[in-house]
Amino acid sequence: MSAFEPKIIAMVCNWCTYTAADLAGTSRLMYPHNVRIIRLMCTGMLDAKYVLKAFLEGADGVFIGGCHPGDCHYINGNLKAARRIPGIAAILEQFGFSSERLELKWIGASEGPEFQEHITRFVETIRALGPSQAATAMIL
Amino acid sequence: MEKNSAMTVFYLKTDKNPKAGVSAFLGRMLSQSLADAVLVSARTPHSPLPMPAVITDPEKIEAADPLAPAAPFNAARQAVSILRHESGRKIVLVLRPCEIRALVELVKLKQCVLDDAVIIGMECRGRMETPIYLEKAAENPDLTAAFYRDPGLQDAVCASCRICTRFLPQAADIAIRVIGEPTDERIGIVPQTPAGQDLVGRLGLSEGPDSPGREDAVANMRDLREQERERAFQETAGKTDTIEKFQKYVAQCLNCYNCRVACPVCYCRECVFLTDVFAHDPQVLMRRAAKKGMIKLPADTTMFHLTRMAHMAHACVACGHCSSVCPSHIPVADIFIKVGNEVQKRYGYEPGRDLEEPMPLMVYDKPVVE
Amino acid sequence: MIYEKPRIGVYICHCGSNISPKVDVEAVARFAAGLDNVAVSRDYKFMCSNPGQDFIVNDIKQMGLNRVVVASCSPRMHEPTFRKACEKAGISPHYFQMANIREQTSWVTADSAHATQKAKDQVAAAAARVAGHAALTSREVAVQKSILVIGAGIAGIQASLTAAEAGYDVHLVEREPSIGGHMAKFDKTFPTLDCAACIMTPKMVEAAQKENIHLHTWSEVVSVEGFVGNYKVRVRKKPRYVDMEKCTGCGVCQQKCPVKVPSEFDEGLAFRKAVYSPFPQAVPNTPVIDKDHCIYFQKGKCRACEKFCEAAAIDFNQADEFIDIVVGAVIAATGFKAFDPSPLTAYGYGIFPEVYTSLEFERLNNATGPTAGKILMKNGQPPRKVAIVHCVGSRDRHYRKYCSRVCCMYSMKFAHLVREKTGAEVWEFYIDMRSPGKLYEEFYNRVQEEGVHLVRGRVAQITDITDHPEDAGCLTVVAENTLARRVLRVPVDMVILSVGLEPAAGSDAVSRMLGIQRDADGWYNELHAKLAPVKTAASGIFLAGCCQGPKDIPDTVAQASAAAGEAVSLLSRGTVRTLAEISYIDPDRCSGCRICVDMCPYSAISFDDGAGVAVVNDALCQGCGSCAAACPSSAAGIRHFNDGQIMAELEALT
Repeated sequence: MSAFEPKIIAMVCNWCTYTAADLAGTSRLMYPHNVRIIRLMCTGMLDAKYVLKAFLEGADGVFIGGCHPGDCHYINGNLKAARRIPGIAAILEQFGFSSERLELKWIGASEGPEFQEHITRFVETIRALGPSQAATAMIL
Repeated sequence: MEKNSAMTVFYLKTDKNPKAGVSAFLGRMLSQSLADAVLVSARTPHSPLPMPAVITDPEKIEAADPLAPAAPFNAARQAVSILRHESGRKIVLVLRPCEIRALVELVKLKQCVLDDAVIIGMECRGRMETPIYLEKAAENPDLTAAFYRDPGLQDAVCASCRICTRFLPQAADIAIRVIGEPTDERIGIVPQTPAGQDLVGRLGLSEGPDSPGREDAVANMRDLREQERERAFQETAGKTDTIEKFQKYVAQCLNCYNCRVACPVCYCRECVFLTDVFAHDPQVLMRRAAKKGMIKLPADTTMFHLTRMAHMAHACVACGHCSSVCPSHIPVADIFIKVGNEVQKRYGYEPGRDLEEPMPLMVYDKPVVE
Repeated sequence: MIYEKPRIGVYICHCGSNISPKVDVEAVARFAAGLDNVAVSRDYKFMCSNPGQDFIVNDIKQMGLNRVVVASCSPRMHEPTFRKACEKAGISPHYFQMANIREQTSWVTADSAHATQKAKDQVAAAAARVAGHAALTSREVAVQKSILVIGAGIAGIQASLTAAEAGYDVHLVEREPSIGGHMAKFDKTFPTLDCAACIMTPKMVEAAQKENIHLHTWSEVVSVEGFVGNYKVRVRKKPRYVDMEKCTGCGVCQQKCPVKVPSEFDEGLAFRKAVYSPFPQAVPNTPVIDKDHCIYFQKGKCRACEKFCEAAAIDFNQADEFIDIVVGAVIAATGFKAFDPSPLTAYGYGIFPEVYTSLEFERLNNATGPTAGKILMKNGQPPRKVAIVHCVGSRDRHYRKYCSRVCCMYSMKFAHLVREKTGAEVWEFYIDMRSPGKLYEEFYNRVQEEGVHLVRGRVAQITDITDHPEDAGCLTVVAENTLARRVLRVPVDMVILSVGLEPAAGSDAVSRMLGIQRDADGWYNELHAKLAPVKTAASGIFLAGCCQGPKDIPDTVAQASAAAGEAVSLLSRGTVRTLAEISYIDPDRCSGCRICVDMCPYSAISFDDGAGVAVVNDALCQGCGSCAAACPSSAAGIRHFNDGQIMAELEALT
């Protein structure tokens, strides 16, 4: 049996964390291949549906990356996302998805190394947790 | 709605017929022109099952039977239909605590206004599922009076009511007190706001001391309910603690969306699951099938329930009507009430407690720190 | 919805050797060919090159493609390039999606097989997403070629003059009876020591005389509605009780008025009348009647001013007048107020008469001030020793933690003036001496050479208890000289508190009216500290001067000109283009809960009471999606980032 390779969905804002991811690239900072990035304009547009959908479709972890508080391109969209997350996490936990599988981090546009670091650590966390039950269960 | 610190209790005589006592009380509001209309659960000539009704004629008020242990739906929805705009008419609403909670949430969601309304809240021993109520009503022509007398009948209330700990009416102008009261003799009327005080003051009721044993009765009921609730939560957790178990839990779901139609705080004009967002292109379904090897149709059942939780769990008033209407008898409310409880705890939010309490997602300048 | 079957072209870029060979581009292209709706799939060395773009253009034309995916670098890099290619070939630029397989794949993934798999997933997601893309349009909105400037200090005046010079109509609103603001109160200005009046008054006069500057003094903005290019503004003109048309500015009314009131302009050090112009060079020089102190208004008789006014300009019947104007842009120039040092009781302000604030000292120094510019104590004698205390209320966690940016320099200006005018000994107490700026360090050196005692240390106390009998009547300044590590007790005749700067009173109300944000200290927030220093998050609203943060006159004037330049640049084309990727609200789905209205940081959503639904103003919406995420029925959505598009990506990536 091959080793468990987690499937990570990262939903990140265009202005900060997506730019940080690009910077990690231009700086050739290697990080685990497991992450798949979806670009949002702002974490403020992060709909609970997206997170739930990702887990139901078998994602082992969902990483949300936005601007640091005070730096949001749209003033306070990041704070709205931060406010939404605990409610979503409470629902997920009810059905056995550990809260560690959903993470929100602020990564500024200049923080390429931080992006690398957070993603690497998050992938390792999820690897240690093992596969999400949804990844193996048949979700109908 | 401001609470009075010193609660005065007035009493209605019931003469072994609490239904008549309450309807006479409401009738006086109409005949004395203290209210233009009363929205209250009432029996129509067609069925023993009480349905929400708007009564303006004092002659018709005897149909009112708010104490009957039945509620085919959460009447907040019906209340909204007459409170959408200011009407200039004074409307008295007789509601259960969970209905008041829903109404308060709906005001926050700008679905109605309470400017014209006076809320009379009933202390609630619960409601029976409609088929059970009809069965008991056939056996017992005076079921309302019997219900408050007979603990056996009280045990026949629905699952959500058995675990309800918020059975006293908050955010009501006037409370109808039945718990710990000898309902065959009298029922308590407790004004809880200045508006309630004003209204009750005009009805010439006699004031009285608290019934002995009242406090104990409330405490006992709360203890029992809390124990039952804890037990139910554990049982539900055991049935839903993995997503696979939850899929089994909702396996019979038909995607009929009755639960969301019955839900008083699912206020959307059109559920997102009925929109093009979930009207997938055939290719999407084929891709899903190809990925998993097999998919069940209709699609998105689990997604529907989780999304509905994400939308309304913070506002869930625990009325249980979602379970009552499920054609597949899925205990929808058991899991929604449990998740609601968890979400509400995290945000420090109690739905329906106070009109001034902002809904949790609206207060984003203070991120939640866990 | 008219269903047009998507025909997608997928193009995998090698980017020289940047993507290939890490990513097996041929394998990705073969994989893409098998995806739903893909009509053609190619790989090429440099997709961004002209031949690369020609592939796309030709395929669209020849193969009838209606959607395009390019897997190459970051969309932040070349999305505009490929969108243009689509447009050139005749399809909507929004029918394009990019897969970032360079910055986010080939450059960051160690293993080639992993990188190739990731690239395949990204291409599949892009193809799934692009199938659901819609052709978006944006609108040109005509703009009003006029500008509102709020506040007529040096910032507002400079901004007005710059914009007026470019030919724009400017409405300059000032709540005081005269324009001029704080600068009009100053005597000399650092570091060049020009007389403030000499450089300020010509500007004031010019502002009054420019045909296309409409001065609204003794007026306040009461509401601002609308959006970039079309702000509807209501201005309340307070009653002057003096007819501006008839008044000749002769000043007789002020001579005859029997009431004396402490002069705000002179910081309470002198008196004005109940009918008054704040200072001799006031613009306009029509006085106002201060209703609260006028005997006629309070007791019903007097009317001395009316009796002696030859021009019959006094009009006790004037009332509030409301003026409605429409402007394309707004420049906020609401300035600052000086920190009130009364709470710092250890400094004795308001207790000891010879403790002055810096603004009071400016007036004491000014030729039109209470002492005609002579530096005199309350007893009429010049001081022999003067202490100047820096950072009063500034750099202090109990009051204002920030640096006022001006107090070092103006304190040294005071030191120089005291030395020059009185020959008195000057003691300056500073925390750090901050003199960055053209010719500022030189000025510091000059003051040092003039024999000013500069003590590095925060003053602990100012007391009237003296150490030696010969100092009786003096004030003692107690401070630690932190460089000498010694406590000093300096007897002086006069103390000047160099107070910090705070946002002007009422600036919070203005910010709410304009829909702009304030920082924790109350200063208006610029859009970007470095790259958009005079813009705000509200399109069409600009900042000039101290309302954005403390600054000196050179910086204020520079920023005011910049704000006017930005406003002119916005309005000069006559139209603004709305964004395409913004929110829409489906009126058939909207339940009218108005959560989106509260969520919108730009006040771009309003509620239509008649229809009972929320409505997006496309000129204000910036497309953040706060409304969309909060709307449970997805009645609100963001174009190009809607639920369907994002969930299509999600499904393909999981």
